[in-house]
Order: sequence, then structure tokens, then C-alpha cells
Amino acid sequence: MVLETILYLIAYPPLWQVLILGFVGALLVAMVAIWFERKAAARVQRRIGPYWASPRLGGFMIIVADMIRYVTQQVIIPTTVDKIAFLLTPVAVLVVTILPLAFIPLSPHELYWPVASMEYSLLIALALTTLPPLLTVVLGWASSNKFSVIGSLRESYVITAYELVAVLAILAPAASTLSFNIVYIVEAQQPVKWLAILNPLAFLAAFLAVLMSTSAFPFEIPESEHEVVAGPYTEYSGILYALNMGGGYIRRFIYAIIIALVFLGGWAPYTPGLDPFTGFIIPSLIVLVKASIVVLVMSFLRAVYGRYRLDQALDAAWRLALPLALLGLGWSIILAYMNLI
Amino acid sequence: MEGQKLQGMVVRRVEKELYEVFIGPQHPGSGHMRIIVRLDGDVIVEADPDIGYVHRTMEKLSEVREWLKPIPLLERMTIIDACNITVPYVNALEKLMDKSPPPRASYLRVLLCEINRVASHLYGFGIFGVFLGHSTMYMWAFGDREVFVELAEILTGARLTHSYPIPGGVRRDMPQDFPEMARRAVRYMRGRLEEYRRIFVDNPVIVKRLEGVGVISRNKAAELGIVGPNVRASGIRYDVRLAEPYEVYDELDFEIPVFEEGDALARTWVRVEEIKQSLSIIEQAVDWLERHKGEPIIPKEDYDKLPKLHREVYEKTGRVKLLPAHATMKIPAGKAIARGEMGRGEIIYYVESDGGTTPYRVRVVTPSARNAIVFKYIVPGHRLMDLPAIYGSIDYFPPEADR
Amino acid sequence: MPARVSLKSLKRRGGLFEGIKSNIQALAVGVKYFIDPQRSTLLYPKEYIEHRPGYRGFIVFIKDKCISCAACARICPSAAMKMVRVTEVDPKHPDKPRQKQYPVINYQRCIFCGYCVDICPTEALYHTPFQDVVYESLADMFLTLEAFQLEPGRPSVSEGSPVVYEVDEERGLIKRRR
Repeated sequence: MVLETILYLIAYPPLWQVLILGFVGALLVAMVAIWFERKAAARVQRRIGPYWASPRLGGFMIIVADMIRYVTQQVIIPTTVDKIAFLLTPVAVLVVTILPLAFIPLSPHELYWPVASMEYSLLIALALTTLPPLLTVVLGWASSNKFSVIGSLRESYVITAYELVAVLAILAPAASTLSFNIVYIVEAQQPVKWLAILNPLAFLAAFLAVLMSTSAFPFEIPESEHEVVAGPYTEYSGILYALNMGGGYIRRFIYAIIIALVFLGGWAPYTPGLDPFTGFIIPSLIVLVKASIVVLVMSFLRAVYGRYRLDQALDAAWRLALPLALLGLGWSIILAYMNLI
Repeated sequence: MEGQKLQGMVVRRVEKELYEVFIGPQHPGSGHMRIIVRLDGDVIVEADPDIGYVHRTMEKLSEVREWLKPIPLLERMTIIDACNITVPYVNALEKLMDKSPPPRASYLRVLLCEINRVASHLYGFGIFGVFLGHSTMYMWAFGDREVFVELAEILTGARLTHSYPIPGGVRRDMPQDFPEMARRAVRYMRGRLEEYRRIFVDNPVIVKRLEGVGVISRNKAAELGIVGPNVRASGIRYDVRLAEPYEVYDELDFEIPVFEEGDALARTWVRVEEIKQSLSIIEQAVDWLERHKGEPIIPKEDYDKLPKLHREVYEKTGRVKLLPAHATMKIPAGKAIARGEMGRGEIIYYVESDGGTTPYRVRVVTPSARNAIVFKYIVPGHRLMDLPAIYGSIDYFPPEADR
Repeated sequence: MPARVSLKSLKRRGGLFEGIKSNIQALAVGVKYFIDPQRSTLLYPKEYIEHRPGYRGFIVFIKDKCISCAACARICPSAAMKMVRVTEVDPKHPDKPRQKQYPVINYQRCIFCGYCVDICPTEALYHTPFQDVVYESLADMFLTLEAFQLEPGRPSVSEGSPVVYEVDEERGLIKRRR
């Protein structure tokens, strides 16, 4: 009885989804993603990568050590910056980045949704994911540094091009299932009618667009080291820099969760039960694992590709990714018309 | 204020629409130099290379050291290409002393030069890779360079600062198991070049970054006087090993790859092809050295002067001992010019002796010093993100240019 | 046979098919090394490199062979080696102390070019085949005559095991335990 109450308490959606999965889970995934990125790149590059911090864990503790360093490092606030914006934006970025989780259902049961209705959840979640880049532009502007301004300018170019593709491609499942309800989309994919298989074009477009718009490593055009030092984050140090950097990883993770839900079948092939454990915690963990795999594949690409030039990236967005997304959308409509899903 | 001259500076008004960005010297993508870039939007309208941050007065320091001592000093201009940069200096001394190295010593020099050339190109590839955000190329190139650094270490006893040639010969003979090791390294590197092609040179993203970027036309290349792989990528058939063969380069069978496109991709391919040719030269050199075992590596007249202990050491370990006279060696008065082809291009030495124990004048013109001009004339008109691509593709090395 | 010029030209870039093919090639190479990294990393404190005998490492002085000719100090390009005058007992005349010059080295300046070892007419100097020596302070790097005669302590030996690097045809450098 007591145990059940505790379970229900943990499964209280704002607590489980936003606090535990959102903050702790996202933090953990960000840590694992950074670690995996370093380890995977190291393997491809014939190195060992992080090792001595904890040889048995494959050097995972180096990420913890890094975090401790970021937290305890002095935060330098240059005199030329716009102080309020400079200090508040990194925090706002993190909050806004986590926000889409409030509209993402990780269980088919209404009881475990963070908000009462999931009718337009996909639209709202996607709309919220487009917010953080705007704050990145603010961030660069507040820094009052040439490299920051160039970096945030690039960020704004890249998001203009790729957010559109990302939104279009991720909306393709909505077109094929005729619903913006994520729960409905996931249920439609049960058990293995995953849209990534039925509609690989849209999936590829979504993957590419997410990679680009979250400036994942090989495509970190806004913060590419060799021209603009660290882009919008040049003036940041210590915990504020960690918030910015972690924000990027968490944003990619949120996108990955959406992709896992709408393309990779969400909690499929598992059929959730009714009680908190089988109805909420297990399905959400399945989604988490699928999202992690998406993030890890993105991390692997770091080792193989170089960096696109800004104009080439934009060119690729309009000429390659956008048609791909439109084709995916068209294919979704055909899927819907032929009742394939 | 406009055009007004202060001491050593020119004050000039910056256009209001232009954005002036200082790339370097405290910048992750600049190396030991500064490039002042003026941007109109994302397009560079003016680039001003500001060199000299690592000027170490190599020429002046050479003048106050006895003849042998500049060898380890001059190496430090391009520590990654140490033999190539010292061989022409030694050649100049040999011209003044009217001495010529025995063929085996020449072959050993060429062997080490080509090992250095491969290592130097791989170093260039590594830096190029990291400039383009391709961290794998960086790590691979540096890892594979280690193979050749290891070979050089076995041959000379030092990883980078070999101080290998001395006037009249070389300091050490090759160890017994060296040829087999060199052949294995050559075969390994050939296999690796194919993988480099797949992950880097033919990688669509990289090709896109390089194709048509930083085009130096044939005329422009001649006009700017750039050298090395950069000029060969623009269709000019110029290589010192071809124009004025030094050492035994005229006895070896190798090609000088020339491309005509003149863009960053062509420059990359020239280096890939040159690595292939260097590997073939290494093979030929070790073959020759194996066929001519036991030949001297210093001139006979020098060998005859050696005392008994020195000869014993030479027979046993292949190490040529210097005579105490070397420390205060005098070189007949005269002037000599010698040139050689380094990994990055042509190096020229002008050495003047007044008959004393130290050089009267040593003038060095290094390839990077001649290539630095590319920043000024080729970079404008490109985008800011092309700057690292051009920088990496001309393989500019500031310590070499600043001397 | 002099060098030949070979005029080459870049491959014409193909269309979509070529693009997909080269993407897959790049990814395949990445995956290949992801599965089998073929590393040769030296786990430094646990392992250390055993160099070959010809390696130009730290220099050790054998006092008995020295004839005080000062050639090593004169050839040293970085002026790291200096002669010091010491008063010592003459083996032939034990009652009469004699003055003699011996070299000492300053490792702050030494560049390990090995000229001194090569020029020594009596082989009184030799290279140790290692360079991983730690000094606690800069002052320690001025070796006294006594310290110059001892092989410097090598902390790696007490902490790790020796490995030898070999060139392999398939994997490049491979480390082999001894």
C-alpha cells in the first residue's frame, strides 16, 4: 500500500517526466552522449579516449570531473556585456529547452500525461523546440564580441533553414496518421509499423535537420572553432558555459525523443499496462533508450564528417533537405490515402 | 588621420560597413600568426597576414656559431621537416669546402629526407583535417606520422631533431633491420592512403569545402612566387628535385605530380600523390643501400684521418665520430648558394664565409615565407569559413616563415 | 634517371550516385575502425617505451676515460656543456693534489644533438636510451660532476612495464611487451 503510493507519487507526471526524466534524465543522457561521442570518436581515430579518470568505467568519470570543474570555475563577466541578458539567457535556454517535455506523452494513459490533453501535442512540442535558438541569438548579442555576433548570426541562418525542414519532416507522421496527437501516432505504429521503415525519406530528412539545427559536432557551424572560436559562447566561462553546452545536447535529446516517438514507434513493441510501473515507467524508459540510440548515432557521425561551409549548409538545406522533407510529406499523404497505416 | 604614418604603423579608417576580425594570435585557428580580416557580411574583402610572432633570429644566430652548430639550430625552423631543411645548408658548406659526400651518404640523406617529407605532409594533413572540423583525419595523420617518426628515430637516434647530415657525409649508418622495417612502413602507408581517400579526400563534405576554393591560377602562382606543392597544384612544373637535382635525386625513378586546377582540392591531391612518390623513393633508397652494404658514409680522406678508436666505433655501431677539429673547423672564404625541396617547397641558403670559424652570413629563404603572400592575394573574395580551408591547403607553417 | 613530371587532373565529380557511394565509403571506413580500432596508444605510466640502443637520450660521463680535452664543451651548439676545474688526487702522485677539467651539463639547455658524444675522442660520454627523466626544480637540472657520472633515475621503470614499438604492415605501429 505504502509502496504503491510512493510509486504513484514518483509516477506523478510533472515529477517523473519533467524533473526525473527531464532534468536528471536529460543530464544523464547529455553526459552519456558526451562520453560516447568522445569514446566513439576515439575508437574511429584509433585512440582510447577518456581512460585514466576511471579505467573500469571507460573513463566515464571524466565527464563528472568536467562538470565539477565547470561548476567550481570562476565565472568571468566581461565589462562590455549586457549583464542581465548575459547572465539570464543561459538559464532561460535550459528552461526553454526542457519545456517541450511537458507536451510529450510517454505513456498511452491520460493519467500519466503531464497535461490534460494531448490533442495537438506534436505541434506544440515542435513549436517549443524552436525557441532556444532565438535565445542563442540573444546570447551572442549580449556578449558584445565579434565572434559571438558572427556565431549567432550563423545560428540564425542555420535555424531558419533547418528548423523548417525539421518541422516539416517531423510533421510527416502527423500527415500519415491524420492526427497531431503523439499518443495516437505511436499507437498507430504498433507493433512494428514504424514510420522510419514506412517513410524513410521523412526520417532521413528529420535526422539531418536535427543534426544541423542543433549544431551537432561535425556541423557546428555557429560555434566552429577555427573561424569564430566558440561562436555565441565565446565570452562564457564556468557554469554558464556548461549550461550553454549542455543545453545543446539536451535540445538534441528532446528532438531525439520526438523522433523516437513519431518515427521509431515510441514504446512499441511493448504494450503498456495500467499501473504506474508497466504503464508509465517502462514505456518511458523504452522511449529513452530509443532516443539515446538516435543521439549516439548522431555522435558517431562526428568522427566521419567534416564541417560544411555556411552557405553550402544553407544550400543543402534548400536544395536537398527541403525537397527530401517535402517528398517525405508527400509519401506520408500517400500512406494515409492508401490506408497503409 | 587617414594615411598618417606613426612609427611603423599606418592609421587608416575602417569602412563602416566592414567588420574587422582579428584571427589570432590567441585564436584556435590561426597558428603563430595573426590574420586581420575585414568582412563585408560573410565575404572577406581584405586579409592582412601579420607574421613574425615566432621570429627567432635564425640567420643572426647562425653567424655567431661555428660551422657545425647551425645544423641543430636551423632544424628548429621546421622541426617536422628537419632533414630537408638542413641538407641544403650542408650542401652549401660542401660547395665551399669542395667536398662531396660518398653515394651511400647521399642515399641515406635522401632516405631521411623522404621519410621527413612523408611525415611533414601527414602533419599538414592533420592540421588541415582539424581546420575543416574533421577530427579523424587529424588523429589518423598524426598517428601514421608516428610510423615515420619512428623510422627516423631508428635511423638517427632522435625523433625529430635528427641533426643527421654533416659536411661530407652523415652521422650514422643504417641499422641492419632498417630496410625491412622501412618496406613494411611503406606498404602500410600505401594501404592507409586508400582509407584517407575514402574518409577525407573523397568525403563529399570535404570535397565540397575544397573544390574551387582558393584558386590560384597558373599566372597568379608565378606572379606571387609561391613554391612547393602549392605551385605544382597550379600547373607549374617546378620542383628543385627536377630543376636542379641535388644529392642523388637524379638517379632515382620518381614522378613530380602536377595538377592544373589550382584549388584547395588540387593542393590536397598533390600532397597525396607526393606521399606515394616519397614512399617509392624510400623503397628505392633502401634497396640501393642494401645492395651497397659496407660502403663508406664519409669521404675517404676523412676516414683516413680517424684514429683507431673512432674506426672501431664506426665498424661496430655505424656511428661516425667527429674529430675535435670539427669544433673549430675553418671553411675557405667564398660564397655558396644551395637549394632543396622541402615538404612545403623550395628552400634556399646563401652561405658566405670569410675564412673564419663561423659563417659570415647565412641567408635562409624558407618556403612558408614565400607562401605567406597567398593570404593577402588569394583569400579576399572568399567566405570567412574558407579561410581555414585555404590556410590548411597551403600548409602554411609560421615558425618556418618567421625563421 | 632524373625525375619525371606527371600531369594529373582531378576526377570529375559524378552525380547523385557518386555522392551516395562516397558517403557510404566514408561511413564504412568509420564503422570499420569503430569495430576494430587498431590502437597503438601507450598507456604511459603503466607502460613505457624501451628505445633501441642508438637512441640519443640523457648523457652520462665516464670520468676515468676523460682526458680533459674540452672538445665536448666547444662543440656544444647550445652551450649546455661547460668544463669545471676540480682539485683531485693524482693517482700517480698521491701526495700532490692536481687540478683537472671535467665537463658538466646543464639539462635546461641541452638539445640532445649528441655532438658531444660523437666528438669525444675517448668515448667518455654515452647516451642512455631514454629521455623520460623528471627533475623537481630547475636548479636540479644543472648536474654536478658526481651526478653527471650516474645514469639518471627513471621513474617510469618503477611504475610501468617496458614495451617496444614495431612497424607492422597491417596495423602501423604495434606495441609489443617485453
